[in-house]
Amino acid sequence: MRVYFRYAFRETISNLWRNRMMTLAAVLTVAVSLSLVGSALLLKQSAAQASVAWQTGTRVTVWMNPTASQGELDAVRTQLADSPLVHRCVFFDQARDYKEFLASLPPSETNVLTAADMPTSFRCEPTIPADAFIVESTFKNQPGVYDVTAPEQQIRQMNHAIRILQIVFLALAGVLLLSATVLILNTIRMAIFARRREVSVMKLVGATNWFIRIPFITEGFIQGLLGSLVAALAVTALHTWYPLHNEFALNNVALLGTNAVVIGVGVLIGSVGSAIAIRRFLDV
Amino acid sequence: MIRFENVGKTYPNGTPALKDINLDIEKGEFVFLVGASGSGKTTFLRLLLREELPDSGRILEAGRDIGELPKWRVPYLRRNIGCVFQDFRLLPNKTVYENVAFALEVIGRPRSTVESQVPQILELVGLADKSNNLPSELSGGEQQRVAVARAFVNRPLILLADEPTGNLDPANSESIMSLLERINRTGTTVVMATHDKALVDRMRRRVIVLDKGEMVRDQVRGVYGVDEGAHR
Repeated sequence: MRVYFRYAFRETISNLWRNRMMTLAAVLTVAVSLSLVGSALLLKQSAAQASVAWQTGTRVTVWMNPTASQGELDAVRTQLADSPLVHRCVFFDQARDYKEFLASLPPSETNVLTAADMPTSFRCEPTIPADAFIVESTFKNQPGVYDVTAPEQQIRQMNHAIRILQIVFLALAGVLLLSATVLILNTIRMAIFARRREVSVMKLVGATNWFIRIPFITEGFIQGLLGSLVAALAVTALHTWYPLHNEFALNNVALLGTNAVVIGVGVLIGSVGSAIAIRRFLDV
Repeated sequence: MIRFENVGKTYPNGTPALKDINLDIEKGEFVFLVGASGSGKTTFLRLLLREELPDSGRILEAGRDIGELPKWRVPYLRRNIGCVFQDFRLLPNKTVYENVAFALEVIGRPRSTVESQVPQILELVGLADKSNNLPSELSGGEQQRVAVARAFVNRPLILLADEPTGNLDPANSESIMSLLERINRTGTTVVMATHDKALVDRMRRRVIVLDKGEMVRDQVRGVYGVDEGAHR
């Protein structure tokens, strides 16, 4: 057994070195395609997390002009209370809005504003969540109202955008993964061709089929593994240095999970590529 | 050791390679397989290696029908059969020592076995002083002796030789023949396909003559024969 491991290791390394340019091409293609897969996965997870965070809060916010008079404020308050579309409302004064504002954005973006610049707002829960946009259009043009926002609508729009982005990423990744598999298949095929004399002698003296095959499979496996390790590094770097908006922040478990998927897929396509090459080109 | 029972083999294009062959080769025999090109000699050897299966009849080696061997057992069958070819089939980027050691390594023999067996066999074939040379630095006769060493290093029960002297001058042919004889004296069954009339006539061993796939003569202590010689 020990003899065999040494033999397989030596053969694999020498195969990889002999075909180093092809190996590099295969590894890089795996790396790029899996980086896309990893980013798409991270995007999906952070979007899902953000949606949950937002949906547990207020569904419609009626932002008052900072200059709105007390009369305008009371009128809006009464109308909201009377509207059958609105279940209940909470009034946020300037201090409370400012606190929320500070919490939701990084300091670099908040330090130019003070509580006095903040609008007051009504945080309302529609009776039926889907009616949020009716509330929005009803109150939008009331005197003293600056704007009405319905995060659910925004979430829906953003989710839509993210979904399209994700489909584009995954489609690109799919094409690249396919070409990575073909590249790996081709490097293994070249390795088999380069070693055809050895293979024929091995068959002649009675080496078992798996003994002959395993160095080639290991070669594809290692190419997939190297590519996916590069991709995992890229995904981790992206996550660490370019975190999306605070509300998208993911924990390390999600990152680990994503990297596990990336490495798993890389190893899989490496093995599949070499397995196909062996079936088609290695006559044992 | 080897038994052919009504063995027939026809290639897909319809030409019969072997027709109804019946024969027995005992352990430790030395057999010449002679006949013109296309008479079925190579098919005969390929069947013994189970590189191909007969269309009819069966082949027994060491009492076992090799046609019934599952595919994964075939490598183990081949470990008992050494092979030498006209074109040597050495690995050009490995030294003499490594070429012979390779045959042991790829069947998973431990390093200690390799280190004790390889020098011993190189001594036997008279190439101990060339063990670090590449095949390209050797003469044809020396290369063929390396090939014989590789075929015999695992002490197979059967040694097959397909025109082993076909590319060699008479002096080198002579040294290969005496090597095969020595191997035969250790109890190894040797089957050698050849065109070399002078060699067969001088050796006076069993001769099996094939002609267009049929066994036309099986003679103990035989000669190449006039008829077959004319085919050359």
